[in-house]
Amino acid sequence: MRKGWFGFLALLVLAGGAWAQQRPLVVGVSWANFQEERWRRDETAIKEQLARMGAQYVSTDAQSSAEKQLNDIDSLIARGVDALIILAWDKDAILPAVQKARAAGIPVVAYDRLIADPYAFYISFDNVEVGRQQAQAVYRVRPRGNYVFILGSPTDPNADLLHQGQLEVLQPAINRGEIRVVGKQYTEGWRPEIAQRNMEQILAANRNQVDAVVASNDGTAGGVIAALAAVGLAGKVPVSGQDGDWPALNRVARGLQTVSVWKDAKELGRRAAEIAVLLARGTRPDQIPGVQKFRVPGDPRGTVVNAVLLKPIPITRDNLHIVLEAGWITKEALCQGVSGPQAPAACR
Amino acid sequence: MTPLLRAEEISLRFGGLQALDRVSFDLYEGEVHSLVGHNGAGKTTFIRVLSGVYAPQEGRLLLRVGQELREVRFASPRDAQRHGIETIHQNLALADNLDAVANVFLGRERARRFSLDEEAMEAEARKVLERVGARLPSLRVPVHRLSGGQRQAVAIARALLFRARVLIMDEPTAALGPGETARVKALIRSLREEGLGIILISHDLHDVFNLSDRITVMKGGRVVGTVRARESSQEEVLGMILAGERKG
Amino acid sequence: MEAMRPLNQASRQEIGLHSQNLFLLLVLGVLWGVFHLLTLGQPGQFLSPQNLWNLSVQTAVVAILVGGMVLVIVARQIDLSVGSLLGFTGMAMALLQAVPPIGEGWPWPLALLVGLALGTGAGLLQGYLIAYLGAPSFIVTMAGLLVFRNAAYLIAEGRTIGPLQDGFLVLGGGLQGSIGPFWSWVVTLLALAYTLGAVWRGRWLRQRHGLPVRPLWLDGLLSLFLAGLFGGFLWVMNSFPHPVTGQGRGIPVPVLVALGVLIFLHWLSQRTRFGRYVYAIGGNPEAALLAGIPVRRIQVLVFGLMGLLSGLAGAVQAARLAFVPTGMGTLLELYVIAAAVVGGTSLAGGSGTILGAALGALIMSSLQNGLVLLGVPTEWQNLILGVVLVAAAVWNARFHRRRS
Repeated sequence: MRKGWFGFLALLVLAGGAWAQQRPLVVGVSWANFQEERWRRDETAIKEQLARMGAQYVSTDAQSSAEKQLNDIDSLIARGVDALIILAWDKDAILPAVQKARAAGIPVVAYDRLIADPYAFYISFDNVEVGRQQAQAVYRVRPRGNYVFILGSPTDPNADLLHQGQLEVLQPAINRGEIRVVGKQYTEGWRPEIAQRNMEQILAANRNQVDAVVASNDGTAGGVIAALAAVGLAGKVPVSGQDGDWPALNRVARGLQTVSVWKDAKELGRRAAEIAVLLARGTRPDQIPGVQKFRVPGDPRGTVVNAVLLKPIPITRDNLHIVLEAGWITKEALCQGVSGPQAPAACR
Repeated sequence: MTPLLRAEEISLRFGGLQALDRVSFDLYEGEVHSLVGHNGAGKTTFIRVLSGVYAPQEGRLLLRVGQELREVRFASPRDAQRHGIETIHQNLALADNLDAVANVFLGRERARRFSLDEEAMEAEARKVLERVGARLPSLRVPVHRLSGGQRQAVAIARALLFRARVLIMDEPTAALGPGETARVKALIRSLREEGLGIILISHDLHDVFNLSDRITVMKGGRVVGTVRARESSQEEVLGMILAGERKG
Repeated sequence: MEAMRPLNQASRQEIGLHSQNLFLLLVLGVLWGVFHLLTLGQPGQFLSPQNLWNLSVQTAVVAILVGGMVLVIVARQIDLSVGSLLGFTGMAMALLQAVPPIGEGWPWPLALLVGLALGTGAGLLQGYLIAYLGAPSFIVTMAGLLVFRNAAYLIAEGRTIGPLQDGFLVLGGGLQGSIGPFWSWVVTLLALAYTLGAVWRGRWLRQRHGLPVRPLWLDGLLSLFLAGLFGGFLWVMNSFPHPVTGQGRGIPVPVLVALGVLIFLHWLSQRTRFGRYVYAIGGNPEAALLAGIPVRRIQVLVFGLMGLLSGLAGAVQAARLAFVPTGMGTLLELYVIAAAVVGGTSLAGGSGTILGAALGALIMSSLQNGLVLLGVPTEWQNLILGVVLVAAAVWNARFHRRRS
């Protein structure tokens, strides 16, 4: 008699376990806004990886509103997601949402933008490294002279991480007096029109005596180069960027832009999805492959988060083949307007 | 003698409210025919029908063409104006942000090809304003800066600019001081001499008797009765207004 | 003689001296003077040809839009979709002219026409919803703001689109985008001749009709002032050297476009029935109706005009950047409205001039230009801009009439 009851109970437990195993994991992604070009690529990569691991994808778009993002995450939690991937619009306003996820036992992955909460697993390209690579590429071309910093959005923490990396490379030369910083402006919303106007003014203020520009992304780099072109300096002044957007890579091929630090968004999306599923399945954060401890810059509490930081690749005219081979851009788009003996290797 | 204008059995309903109930009215050349009655008696509604703002649901409007009366249907206020009926509304219907010249010519500007002929309009406006005895500090300030009487003068000038046969005035002296009131009354008399037919709405029975040839009393959307000013008295008319019917 | 009448309050109005606009001109002068003094210690000063050339191009996009916005606001409406429509039409024009596989590879004039048509169509549609279906303009144009912003994103699939064709880039200023010293002389002299002609012909016409005219010395002074203004403008534009030819660049094309638009709108608002009716509707919509003015048709046209200008501004902005990001023009409508308000347009409707709004746009643009020229940090720039905006609005409120 007792054996029968015991067997029945064991069967129930097994059935329950099997049922739990068969229900696919649901990963919720809270986007900040879909205005930047790159997020679509990220989304595709995340979806593909989740599908490969047998998980489902749901998403929300906060449309640049911190309040909406809080509501979005509430609704994702209510839908019963097993893990959250958050691209935070405002790194401070997002903290209550992270706490709610924690209370609900839902692991959180902070995607590309840092969230200063030890519960959130940070995955990004090493933005400080991006800044370093931007500065290095420009410094190699022009080790002395008047430098200009066109920074990112004043409300985006990444902008300061980038600048931190840029200064790591350039500060010694600045201290030695070989480099003079003649202009420095943030760019609201990373908007190219604003970068263009700011650069025009810096050129005017210095009577065009500018030797190098460290721009923090391709959109602002484009604005900078438009301003340089108007005074005949395009191609003569090295300019950095990041994101690998098509017009920027074309500018690199044409010799107007020195470098575009490329972050394969597919790689970022893939790894983030993988980490989200692993965390949802119960893997401990400190056992995620490639994990390191990352100290939040400028944080008075000295917060440390678990992080996976991917390495970006600086794309200059010498290694354009990388983006071609990765299928990131087509050859026609890359090599438009490029001809003659000055053409880079990838376009011949 | 044929009247200038005749309304026959005009009726108008707004939803559940019978605003005008078989109103009949006529107006002769060189006559001042006043409309009196309580607020809500239908006076303003009736003149809106005459001036083309509302279309009557029943009844008809006739205007004198040559020597005979012909039925007309007004599609819009502009239409009524084209037939020679000019209206000065109670609130004057002036664009306060525009100057006197612009207001006088509003909707009927003079233009040379695409451009407004400002100089010609200003010159004409000046003449018409003189004719109505207006004394404006400037023709080129926005009319909200003018006094009540001056604004009234601009509205009257606008009405007289084009060849009006019928002039409708809704409470022309209500907001004016005694000096300006006297000027408006003198103007009404002189326009009457010129042969215009004038329909006057006023709640000041003294003025009404002073100026009018005939007086029509309205109440509740109906015509109570029409009297000749000379053959009646303020008491009788007041009685008609209050009682809603003609005595005797 | 009429000519010797004293300049008391009423006749000042009569002879068309707008004290409000004079004040704006004064503010502009003071602003320029202050910035120049503050920049004397650095290599590039505020009143240098390069910076003034920059300033004129930087003001062009807002200047194209602000005149249309004045008419919209005067008519007691608002248009919040302007920035998004600029972005959408700009993106469409970029996609049409970019070389395949990025875009369609059409010739740029065709792409430009399509962009203008799109802008006009969008404006007319919004106008129809507002005038004939009675929806509030705030809501309709806010919907437009969201729809067109997202439409720009969708048609580009989130990408930044470029490069653009060389011919198109002329619209943006830059190395190929100026008309050179010779043509600048021609344009300036023609414009001066026309303006002086208008002043003196106006005087003659008024005298012919027996109307009072400004004192002769005043008209003479005005003529000298105008000649100086036009001459100064020409001198500045011709003094900024082209790095390749060494000659002066001349008037930038976007500035020509903006000036052309402003002059046209000034004429439209002051000298045509359409303009008169816009102001009448803003002053008293019921009076306008009673006067037989086709109110709804005028309102549709006002929005259609604004849409056309948004397309034109989109072309200029795209040409200036030489590529189009999906976020181009974000929040621009707020700057345009602010420029109109600084220039004296009342948000209640019924008052505002094109000239004033142009000065307002120039004042705001000069502020931004000067602050960055001085190297003022970004956070402070917006603070100062905000303070100035509020001060301008409060000051202008004094000029606005009491509603009777």
